[in-house]
Amino acid sequence: MFEVLFKKIAEIVILSEEETEAVKTFFLPKKIRKKQYLVQEGDSCKYLTFIEKGALRSYTVNEKGNEHIIQFAIEGWWITENSSFFKAAPSGYNIDALEDSEILLINLSNYENMLTSIPAMERYFRIHFQERLIALQRRIAITLTYSLEQKYIRMLDIYPDIIDRFPQHLIASYLGTTPETISRIRKQLSLRK
Amino acid sequence: MINQVIAIIGASENKGVALAKILAKVKMHLLLVVTNSHELSALANEIKTEHPDTDMEIVSCPVDASWEADIIVLAISYQAENKILSQIKAVSTQKIVITLSNQVNKANGSLSGEAENSSGEELQKILPYSKVIQVFNTALAAGFSQPSGVNQAADVFITGNDKEALQTVSKLIKLAGFNPIIAGDIS
Repeated sequence: MFEVLFKKIAEIVILSEEETEAVKTFFLPKKIRKKQYLVQEGDSCKYLTFIEKGALRSYTVNEKGNEHIIQFAIEGWWITENSSFFKAAPSGYNIDALEDSEILLINLSNYENMLTSIPAMERYFRIHFQERLIALQRRIAITLTYSLEQKYIRMLDIYPDIIDRFPQHLIASYLGTTPETISRIRKQLSLRK
Repeated sequence: MINQVIAIIGASENKGVALAKILAKVKMHLLLVVTNSHELSALANEIKTEHPDTDMEIVSCPVDASWEADIIVLAISYQAENKILSQIKAVSTQKIVITLSNQVNKANGSLSGEAENSSGEELQKILPYSKVIQVFNTALAAGFSQPSGVNQAADVFITGNDKEALQTVSKLIKLAGFNPIIAGDIS
């Protein structure tokens, strides 16, 4: 139930046996089914979620009913709506399951208590958020400057599992385009090989 | 509350049956965990007729049900409890675990009736990281499913240590048509 979490933590910090057992007590283990919601736009996002198995996504829906995926999350990734989780704002996104999933949830007060009582976890999250910030900055630059084809190629390069695992219309939603355009790009790329 | 999952362990026993009927009107996804599948299809049919839009599933594994659940209700006898508790302990961390007591907890603090299962206090010790809420209700214990007396929702006393959990369970009790009264902490 916690294997992937501790594997990910071990990439950054070392936890003692005692600390490992203590970390487990702060999380709520939950099984969620495909299409079930974790949080809806406007609600409060109570949890920072870690994915042991399966896949979730965060997305918005505009007035025309079009969905835009903000983030995919698969095994080993964290997902939440940060302004809602950390600042009690109403959630700007929906978060739901793309597959039947096993997830670990931690609420804000347990998160703070865990970081206070286990300094190694404070370090883990600090470094984790550094990485996230770097990735997000890069993503903003790319969103503004890359062509769609370049964005697709980059995604193939850094997240090939996402491309393989999810249907075209979800990839299109993430890249801000239509499934037809993604289809066309794929065809062009395969012709060039 | 909506879209939350509630698991009732021991749904095929008296308390569980009464509870399943009561919770059928609440807009949550019910997982009825049974050992006795025959009794349960009868109950399921009854619920479906009386409350056709109940989102309900009958399952056999208490661990899976507890894992999926946001709220776990223990409606099992004392003898069955220990085995179930050791199985579900790991997937109950941080979750609300409701135990039903048939002991009458009157406002003056006296208890009557024999304990059929662990007290809330004992349960909280066995599941230290769960939010144990003890629910007292004579009407429920007697197997009634009508919440209202003459013009008034029947009182249901609850005890527990976690304030947020007490609020959540109070909301649930109100949705089911009863009147929740928080009677103090779990001891």
